[in-house]
Amino acid sequence: MRCGSQREGNDMAVLVDRNTRVIVQGITGKSGILQTKSLIDYGTVVVAGVTPGKAGTAVEGVPVFNSVADAMKETDPNAAISFVPPMFAKDAAMEAMEAGIKLLVLTMEGIPKHDVLDILSYASGRGVCVLGPGTAGVISPGKCKLGAHPARMFREGRVGVVSKSGALSYEVGKTLTDAGIGQSTVVALGGGPIWGTTQRDVVELFNADPETEIIVLLGEIGGSTEIAAAEYIAESVRKPVVSLIVGRSAPEGKSLGHAGAIIRGNKGTAASKMEALEKAGALLATTPAQVVELIRKLG
Amino acid sequence: MKLYEFQGKSLFREAGIPVPKGAVVTASDRSGLFAPSAVKAQVLSGGRGKAGGVLLASTMDEAKKAADSILSMELKGEPVKAVLVEEKMNIRAEYYLAVTFDGEAGTPLFMASASGGMDIESVAEHTPEKILKLPVDTLWGLTDYKIREMADFLGYENKKEFASFARKLWNLFREKEAVLVEINPLVVTDSGLVALDSKIEIDDDAKPRLKDLFEQNLSEQARITGKEADADHGTITYVPLDGNVGLISDGAGTGMLTLDLIKDFGGSAADFCEMGGLTSPEVMYSAMDQVFSDKKDIRSLLVVLIGGFNRMDEMAEGITSYLRDHSVSIPLVVRLCGTMEEEGKTIMKEAGLPVYDDLRTAVADAVRFAAGGE
Repeated sequence: MRCGSQREGNDMAVLVDRNTRVIVQGITGKSGILQTKSLIDYGTVVVAGVTPGKAGTAVEGVPVFNSVADAMKETDPNAAISFVPPMFAKDAAMEAMEAGIKLLVLTMEGIPKHDVLDILSYASGRGVCVLGPGTAGVISPGKCKLGAHPARMFREGRVGVVSKSGALSYEVGKTLTDAGIGQSTVVALGGGPIWGTTQRDVVELFNADPETEIIVLLGEIGGSTEIAAAEYIAESVRKPVVSLIVGRSAPEGKSLGHAGAIIRGNKGTAASKMEALEKAGALLATTPAQVVELIRKLG
Repeated sequence: MKLYEFQGKSLFREAGIPVPKGAVVTASDRSGLFAPSAVKAQVLSGGRGKAGGVLLASTMDEAKKAADSILSMELKGEPVKAVLVEEKMNIRAEYYLAVTFDGEAGTPLFMASASGGMDIESVAEHTPEKILKLPVDTLWGLTDYKIREMADFLGYENKKEFASFARKLWNLFREKEAVLVEINPLVVTDSGLVALDSKIEIDDDAKPRLKDLFEQNLSEQARITGKEADADHGTITYVPLDGNVGLISDGAGTGMLTLDLIKDFGGSAADFCEMGGLTSPEVMYSAMDQVFSDKKDIRSLLVVLIGGFNRMDEMAEGITSYLRDHSVSIPLVVRLCGTMEEEGKTIMKEAGLPVYDDLRTAVADAVRFAAGGE
């Protein structure tokens, strides 16, 4: 388990809540500026931005600092979201972790893999929770958004959603919201091939979260993170779990973007994952609309 | 970037990892041929031994024949353009040794087996206990006790030699930013451990800081195959399929969901084309270019966009600018929602293009249009 609850007491949601104080790394880049505006519009408390050499400026009214350490002294953040370009992402991540940040959202794709391995090794030694890389981030509707989730596709509620794919988490969030079903927290993990936080980790957080009554697990073909989550569900989860695995119609032997892993001795087919999840007691949906139907049946 | 065996072995040599003496031979340059020798096809795919891509030669005449024969082969669709001719080894045992990473655990991973020389995936499937999988902490590196564990598992007596070998392999993995360094087989000879094969893949994402390594190996590969290296498609993943509904999505997850829905609605996708979750008008443009130039017989094109980091105004710009530059006669079904959705819809409307909001409706229409419906 790499991610614990970040804070104690009050208003606890998974990973983020109203007490989350965010720094944006790479705030002066194109994505940084646009996303900072979107976070602030949502109500996320963005306390500082960091871009080396840009101290003294501001983005969307947020003060910019040269270093995370400077931002820490003045603004007391507890989470970071990074839009730093891939070749510099590791340095920025190490800087944030050394300065004491405990939740790190790495949005960029294409960070060299050995850099990602370095980041994760350092993070596990310091008890830092890393989402991503290549993640759309996390949203606790009505409380905090630390990522790219389009605000109007989500509303406050009792369903916790975890997804590898960001786009699929929007798709299912939108379908749930259109059907009047709100979410406690929606977490996207990133396309891999290397992950910080995995599905199992987030299911564990949802299981302990009093605001989450139903867990929706979104997975896809390739790899075996869903299998590890299924094992955990079978052992420890008593809350209802609804699962949708996409890619069931993909021709065998074709890799469709997110890398599958053979090193775990498993081909990662949709069928093998659905079987494991069903055995673990999860209800299986084949489309987002069916996720809604199954949740309605749960009452 | 995958390396040919001989390219991997030159990295081994540079790192002080023992390899057999050998020379590369091509159709136009046979000066390196010698005998007795093993003549080995140089291809990037695996399973060459089973396919007859490795021949032993006792005499020069046999070596010439072996080279001729292998140079006329095609292995898994890849024409053989070079062979590696190597000295024969006196083999006492064959191991498997590799270092890669376990993405789900987020750590590097050593894999070792005393059942080397054969298809390791089948060993993994049928007798997983014969493979030791040893996670290594990235920053701590390969510790002595892990090296001892591997040597014990393999039953290799000369611990000091093995330790030095394993450390060199680890350093190569880290310094060259490999995603896989595999030796199968790693052979035990009278003079110790020798890497009889090499399979190395370097992380493409590290290219900006490993320019020389990439340039040197890719230009060497281009010289051998006579083809330029594949163009860099950036974040686009493209997989051709058999159906007649063209598909483009801005995320692998939604793309796969759409693939499933197309099938549920009785259609079949012509491709899987996924642009990644943080893209640009240019990428949208080149995704359409990719699908239309590869799939000339599609009957409809379904574009599924749900923007988080992706901006829908940018996606709409990419689509409309492609349509300005090309004449497209098949129905286009675009589902567009999310970040900057209003702006995107306005751009589409101004270009006279319909936009869908609901994925199921979009898929149903794309399938119906492909079947000739109105």
